[in-house]
Amino acid sequence: MTTAPMQYAHPEALVDADWLEKHLNDDGLRIVESNEDILLYDTGHIPGAVHIDWRTDLQDQVIRDYIAPDKFAELCSRNGITRDTTCIFYGDKANWWACYALWAFRLFGHEKVKILNGGRDKWKAEGRPMTREVPKYPQTNYPVPKKRLDQEIRAFADEALAQSKAGKPLVDVRSPGEFKGEITHMAEYPQEGVLRGGHIPGAKSVPWKTATNEDSTFKPANELAKIYFEGCGLKSGTDTVVYCRIGERSSHTWFVLTYLLGLDHVRNYDGSWTEWGNKVGAPIEKSA
Amino acid sequence: MTETNMYPPKLEKIIHLFESLPETERRETLVSYADNARKQEPRPGEKFVLEDVRKDEECADTVGVYLQVDDEGKAHFRMTLGPEVQTLTRAMTAILCKGLDGRTPQEVLELPGDFVTRIVGTELVRVRSQTIYYVLTRIKGICKVYLDRQRMAEVA
Repeated sequence: MTTAPMQYAHPEALVDADWLEKHLNDDGLRIVESNEDILLYDTGHIPGAVHIDWRTDLQDQVIRDYIAPDKFAELCSRNGITRDTTCIFYGDKANWWACYALWAFRLFGHEKVKILNGGRDKWKAEGRPMTREVPKYPQTNYPVPKKRLDQEIRAFADEALAQSKAGKPLVDVRSPGEFKGEITHMAEYPQEGVLRGGHIPGAKSVPWKTATNEDSTFKPANELAKIYFEGCGLKSGTDTVVYCRIGERSSHTWFVLTYLLGLDHVRNYDGSWTEWGNKVGAPIEKSA
Repeated sequence: MTETNMYPPKLEKIIHLFESLPETERRETLVSYADNARKQEPRPGEKFVLEDVRKDEECADTVGVYLQVDDEGKAHFRMTLGPEVQTLTRAMTAILCKGLDGRTPQEVLELPGDFVTRIVGTELVRVRSQTIYYVLTRIKGICKVYLDRQRMAEVA
């Protein structure tokens, strides 16, 4: 049994709003906003923040996959990011897309990554500075990553299936209704794009939201440990695969398990339910 | 009917404006419309023939549509938006309240929806692209209810 930790495994992976407001102009730091609302950055953002869009910037525009390493190098270079830059991600929806962007940066081996605890909503609610001025940074020459860490932090459908068959931990972070197969998207969203509802056999339901407080900040380490170690049975040394519908909510849980609880081999199945629920012959459970 | 007279003049002017803009300015203009969405809220003392306030799955928060029909049978719309409503939906609210003002409910109901992508542009159309049609659907919905009630009253 894993002892409930009193502090996060990697507390340095989080910054709070007070700290960030005092360090907005620090060298070697880049604030990155990533949202679900496509135009939200344009309506105002943290001074100095650049905008990275999950689809147009991080995803290949033809094949369902992430951009190639050379495109990632271009993305970083035009945003003034070097290999040594500390990227602090934040965004709407309790940091779903911020965690997704952070995970994508890790996919390309960028190591210095952090999340603004509470994200955009908390920053704005506290009346902290916002601007519409889009910053310009000198172009850098970010080296092309030699590879993507697909093997290390990403799971594909066949690996999720193997995980299911082997009875290894699979965490479904969607809402209970999606897990049960009653709906194929969050309740407040259009129910489009997936032919079958349910979950991957053997997956346990731990909605992403159980990891956050009302103000979108992360719960303390001991509470997270109760949820994921005691409640879900996760432990270090075991492969864990997380998934949701398109990989953004599971990025949030991936961040919690990897950085806040320190699990050592967590992979995000980003194909998630939009792949699994459409895949011919994929096994599905609909139990509660 | 040709494309040039397919849309109400006010709306057509807005469509042409957006089509003439490069992507960056299109985004800025959408944000500017979104900023003005609150101006479409009902004003004190205004009375409406129909009010439809609800939260449904196509939108992130509650949206209210208020219909006024004047003595000449022309429709005027007011709308309220919850705080979670996305920027693009806010922009479409301001655009449609302005662009459809003064048309009859029947004209609004018959309006083809293909102009929405001409305003928003392909860059901003996403997996959840039907959300950009949400405001138009709600406005058409309240017009349909109004017309149905008119017809029922005539029959009675």
